[in-house]
Amino acid sequence: MHGLFRWRAKWWPGVVPLVVLWIFAALSSIAPVEADLTARAAAALKDAVLDKTRIAVDGRDVTVAADAFSEDGRRGAVASVQAVPGVRLVNDDTRLVPEAKPFVWSAERDVVRVTLGGSAPLPAVKGKLADVARATLGGVEVADQMNLARGAPPGFEPAALLLIDQIGKLKEGKIAISDGGVTLSGMARELGGREAIAAALKNLPAGFSVTANDLKAPPYVFQAYKDPVALTLTLSGNVPDNNVHAAIAQAASRKFFSEKVVDNLKPSIGAPSGFAAAVMPALGALSRLSTGTLVVSDREVKLSGDALYDAAAAQIRAGLGKDFPQNFQFKPDISVKPASAPVDPTVCQQLFSDLLGQAKVRFESARATIDPDSAGLLDRLVEIALRCPTSNIEVGGHTDTDGEDGANQALSEKRAQAVVDYLVKAGLPASRFTAVGYGSTQPVATNDTDEGKAQNRRIEFLVR
Amino acid sequence: MAYLVTFYWGWLLGSLLLGLAMGWIAVVHRGAGVPKVTERWLAALFAALVAFSLSRLVPGRFGYWLDLLLIMFACYLAGCAVGSWLRDWVLSRSRPAG
Repeated sequence: MHGLFRWRAKWWPGVVPLVVLWIFAALSSIAPVEADLTARAAAALKDAVLDKTRIAVDGRDVTVAADAFSEDGRRGAVASVQAVPGVRLVNDDTRLVPEAKPFVWSAERDVVRVTLGGSAPLPAVKGKLADVARATLGGVEVADQMNLARGAPPGFEPAALLLIDQIGKLKEGKIAISDGGVTLSGMARELGGREAIAAALKNLPAGFSVTANDLKAPPYVFQAYKDPVALTLTLSGNVPDNNVHAAIAQAASRKFFSEKVVDNLKPSIGAPSGFAAAVMPALGALSRLSTGTLVVSDREVKLSGDALYDAAAAQIRAGLGKDFPQNFQFKPDISVKPASAPVDPTVCQQLFSDLLGQAKVRFESARATIDPDSAGLLDRLVEIALRCPTSNIEVGGHTDTDGEDGANQALSEKRAQAVVDYLVKAGLPASRFTAVGYGSTQPVATNDTDEGKAQNRRIEFLVR
Repeated sequence: MAYLVTFYWGWLLGSLLLGLAMGWIAVVHRGAGVPKVTERWLAALFAALVAFSLSRLVPGRFGYWLDLLLIMFACYLAGCAVGSWLRDWVLSRSRPAG
């Protein structure tokens, strides 16, 4: 072996081709080595919980930059890259994601989209929240603007999932978590939505509580539209319950004798107190209009349309608000329908007879007080009377045979006079009208049946 | 190192064969070898490079190339030693006894 010492002095010339070989090896191998180590390092970090991971390989040195969510996770990630075969050095550029104090998360809904904002504790939770939001909200666009941060309170994920479920019940608004406090603002999508959300919030995980709930319910809307062309009254919107629904439907059919009632009302909770007491007189006012729209929105009553004559417009403007329960606001927008062309007395008589054939002037039982339901009919009678300004008109009152003749006579006179009073109040000259009571002396049907008696109780207009 | 050996065994085998050939020739070469002083300097350089490599002071690609050079050089030296020894052994067998 001692020969090696002698020979070694003659080994050196081979270094020249060796260096050439090395240059080839160095240049040709660098790219594959770096690619291989990049792939191996990425595989080593695949299961690590990191955000914004970047791996850069220079020679056999690996630079790992990433946001970690715990100190252990950060050290573990670096160690796993260090353990990759072939890696010479690991340059550790990892850092812990910042801690959010307070830890705030929010879901905000506007007209077109739901925006998830604030902080999420882990990438997996962030992804899950966005996915669940997309699944819950159907076709609504979901914008994920959440950051990652440490410091989420325990139970954050179930709390956020519960709140995402609630954002679907909002028309617009914002739900936010700040540490353990939940705040809500905005407007519920449907009547009762606010109450449903309040009930669901009772299931918030321990440690969470509602600090502010400023959710508003949508307005409670009732609408009625009188269409003089199609001869329909369309009712739409909400009613508190089936009893009120039936009462409104009955009142509508009494007040709107010539219109077909289209009833699209649906029962819904959340009506303002005094709803029915406001809707009934408002429907009465609508019945006096030629065409009109009634909108009751929460405690605001808007009535717009055309009255049949000036005095009616003034009466509705001034009088209707007084009939409403307290706290209801009345916003009338009443104009007057242009007067119809005058007609001769024969046509006038025909119009009176046709109209009174469709409906009858109603009175309170055994009294001479005109039922408010007949206001619409009386206005139409006034309108006809205005079209024959020169003719005199006899208003005749008739009763059935029930009761004493003297009393019936007096009642029929008083009722005829009440109608005349209405006409005079409408602005017609008193001199044109005569009130005559006929008692039960001129029946038009038999008094043996209730139906016949009802026909005999009537007011007639006779043009002289 | 193990990674380099498995990944680049071809280049290392080349170095080994080169060394083997050089060692084989060196035994019967009549010319003058590298002077002792130069050889010491070369050895010192080699030791310094090894120290650099082990301490991982050279960064990035240069560090990788240094490691590759040293491991190829080690293979070369091993080849030389084996080549020279083999040649010497063959010569001693063919030489008449005594």
